[in-house]
Amino acid sequence: MIVAHVRGHHTRPEELDEHARASWLGRIDPRAKIIGVVVFVVAAALLTRTELILASLSLAVAFAAMSQVPYRHLARMYLGALPFILVASASVALFAGLERGFDMWARTSSCVIALLVLASGTETFELFSGLRRLGVPKLVSTLLMLTYKYVLILGDELARMKTARRARGFKGGRSILDRRSLDVIGNTAGMVFVRASARADDGYEGLRSRGFRSDMKLMRAPRLRAGDIAFVAWFACVSSILAAVQLGGVG
Amino acid sequence: MKVLDIEGVSFTYEDGTPALKGVSLSIDEGEKVAVVGPNGAGKSTFLHLIAGFRTPFEGSLKVMGERLEERTADQVRRHIGLLFQDPDDQIFMPTVEEDVAFGPVNLGLDRVEDRVIQALRCTSIEDLAKRKPHRLSHGMKKRVAIAGVLAMEPELLLLDEPTAGLDPRSRSDLIELLRNMKRTMLMATHDLEAAAEIVDRVVLLNGSVVFEGGLSELMSKDDALERAGLEPPQIARLFKRLGAMGYGPQGVPVTLDQGVAEAVRVIEREKGRSRGRND
Amino acid sequence: MHIPDGLMDPLVAGLGWLEFAVVAAIAVYLSGRKLRDKDLPRVAVLCAGVFVAQMLNFPIGGGTTGHLIGGALLAIMVGPVTAIVGMTVVLLIQALMFGDGGLTAFGLNAVNMAVIAPLAGWGVYTIVKPLVSRGTAGPGKAFTPGEAFAIGAGAWASVFVAAAACAAELAVSYAISDGAYGIAATVSIPAMLGYHAVIGVGEAIITVGVAAYVLRVSPQMFKSTNREPAKAAGLRGMLSSRIVQATAAVSVVFALALPLYFLYSSEGADGLEMTMEDAGVAESEPLLTSPFSYGETYFAAFFAGILGFLAVGLAGLFVMKVLEVRRPAE
Repeated sequence: MIVAHVRGHHTRPEELDEHARASWLGRIDPRAKIIGVVVFVVAAALLTRTELILASLSLAVAFAAMSQVPYRHLARMYLGALPFILVASASVALFAGLERGFDMWARTSSCVIALLVLASGTETFELFSGLRRLGVPKLVSTLLMLTYKYVLILGDELARMKTARRARGFKGGRSILDRRSLDVIGNTAGMVFVRASARADDGYEGLRSRGFRSDMKLMRAPRLRAGDIAFVAWFACVSSILAAVQLGGVG
Repeated sequence: MKVLDIEGVSFTYEDGTPALKGVSLSIDEGEKVAVVGPNGAGKSTFLHLIAGFRTPFEGSLKVMGERLEERTADQVRRHIGLLFQDPDDQIFMPTVEEDVAFGPVNLGLDRVEDRVIQALRCTSIEDLAKRKPHRLSHGMKKRVAIAGVLAMEPELLLLDEPTAGLDPRSRSDLIELLRNMKRTMLMATHDLEAAAEIVDRVVLLNGSVVFEGGLSELMSKDDALERAGLEPPQIARLFKRLGAMGYGPQGVPVTLDQGVAEAVRVIEREKGRSRGRND
Repeated sequence: MHIPDGLMDPLVAGLGWLEFAVVAAIAVYLSGRKLRDKDLPRVAVLCAGVFVAQMLNFPIGGGTTGHLIGGALLAIMVGPVTAIVGMTVVLLIQALMFGDGGLTAFGLNAVNMAVIAPLAGWGVYTIVKPLVSRGTAGPGKAFTPGEAFAIGAGAWASVFVAAAACAAELAVSYAISDGAYGIAATVSIPAMLGYHAVIGVGEAIITVGVAAYVLRVSPQMFKSTNREPAKAAGLRGMLSSRIVQATAAVSVVFALALPLYFLYSSEGADGLEMTMEDAGVAESEPLLTSPFSYGETYFAAFFAGILGFLAVGLAGLFVMKVLEVRRPAE
């Protein structure tokens, strides 16, 4: 909400994918990665007991440390998400006590860190293909892959437009009452859409001329290896222990 | 065997603007042909029509003996590799290798990996296999697109303005690549200099076919060139000027090699003349 | 509005996933039947346009900025059902590329931004447009002031209603979990609604700007989805009427909000009793007790009030619309 708006959406540095390809995490099958992290995040989101939350937070931090994802990138992404988490934690702390506020911070952080490692430690496109093989409808996965392609192209175009705008003295305006700057932003966004639309028809012919029939297929269909299964097993194991202690009230 | 056989094809856009009128053209196996003409002459439309993206049209069009209709477009397109003017229109996958494999995988062809390696080698971009296409230069993107087309092993290559927007170096590299490629191709271009190096035959298109024949033959048709707004290659212009000064060549050379040969001939001739005067 | 994991009560997050799964399955089925291969790149580039447009920050004042959500814009361009699929795709890419918004919370995020925002935006736009779009466009303008107003109203409503849903989810999470999850209604509702009432204005101005620009430069982008469907007889005819569809869209938004209210009233009552006990015994020593214990009842009234206000407003518009349709026939 508020803070998400203030920070806007950031860009993802290209080097991340180079890193991902070289690291052990990057070589794990995307399906295994998605399932493992989802299981962990689901369990972590269930926790309300401080000691369990601390355990899951340390697991998440350990995962981040072992992932070989550049820690500066993780730190920057986490700092981007932090204000929102802090607002929520502070409000809980005010109304329901300090301990609850701390729990909120630690629980949310452990989930956010695990997801950031997943998103930063894998090539985005790999994750899409993982989703497809996990049974996401082909309409959605095809749109995902095509949209991603156009996001890369349009993102570059937008960056050029922003530079051109700055070169001609546009400062970005001071407040929402500044109609002219909002008009300029509206026009920029409009230009993005028109350029997008101009590409659409050629894009279709490009797809068809290369034999496309309503499903994006990949060159290799990798099989799950021992490492992938170990990855899922590890997360399933710790997650079920955490969840069992939380829900069963053991200990 | 005729790879492409077109008879009397006419096509009108949805809004009623006529694009092509009574176009006929046939291309034999291994032949390289250029469609030249001014902007808006229907060159791109012509290529996209052959690729089965502009139906319905009048007249008859056969690729490898198969007649192109709305119904058969997908089947006929299997014989065709279309290179778009903007490579971003036909590159879809996040790595070069995956992208080159895209077509063969879609068509369910066998030996996909071999085809990919072959296509990458053919366009000399093996070392880019793991790179991201959208981060490459325009010239390299063109090569990726060509590799993607070649991997489908089409019988007929359609190239839309292959040299447009390239820097001089990548342009001459691409010309070299296309010249040495042993494939049947039809390219649309207004870069006569490139066409001169690559093709055997040109078709001057301006809604309908205005001229068909060798490029140096076209060079002598000044009014046709003028009307089509085409710029003759520098070599051809040089020899036309020389011709006007009395050093006329026998034919108008259009490529560098022809130009050198012609220049040598003129020099020899002039040497002989001056020797004759001195004696 | 991208909620991270661990913030929402698991019950609320699960409810979000359930609602999202049902709506998404229907939307994928319907748009899968409607969209041909030919339309896919077009929808994809528009989704990419929304994604990229979200990177454009606009100034709010005091140094803060907001950005477009684009749900209403996409719905106006490709229709509400396809917009649900498209916005889902945009959110998925954000989650997988940047880690924005959570996985357990993805259901809720998608319900808010990929379902409620486009449906509310499109619904309001479609219902308001015929009421105000009299007259002709001025010279050099893409559309009449009335149409611009309808687009703006749709865009504003899409943000405001989505924010209201998000605030309600946070508040219900807080209430039913006895303060372990969510944000108290006394904070979340005024903060979210107040802030997004302003953000919505930016969204409205920019959406109108984009629509005007696109209509001027590339009008065919609107034509494909914006034509009135052919008139048919009987039930089919009624179902294909834009106004019935718009009402259905708005009803879906309410239907999505209702389970939340039930969840609150069934679980929340216990929570309320418990917190009252807590307040009496002062076991957890909250720093601020009084606004909280009253806040629960305030919240119920406030939530019901918002729903009621929107329901009455939309019902009023609907009645006006029906009268409007009848008039020329007389």
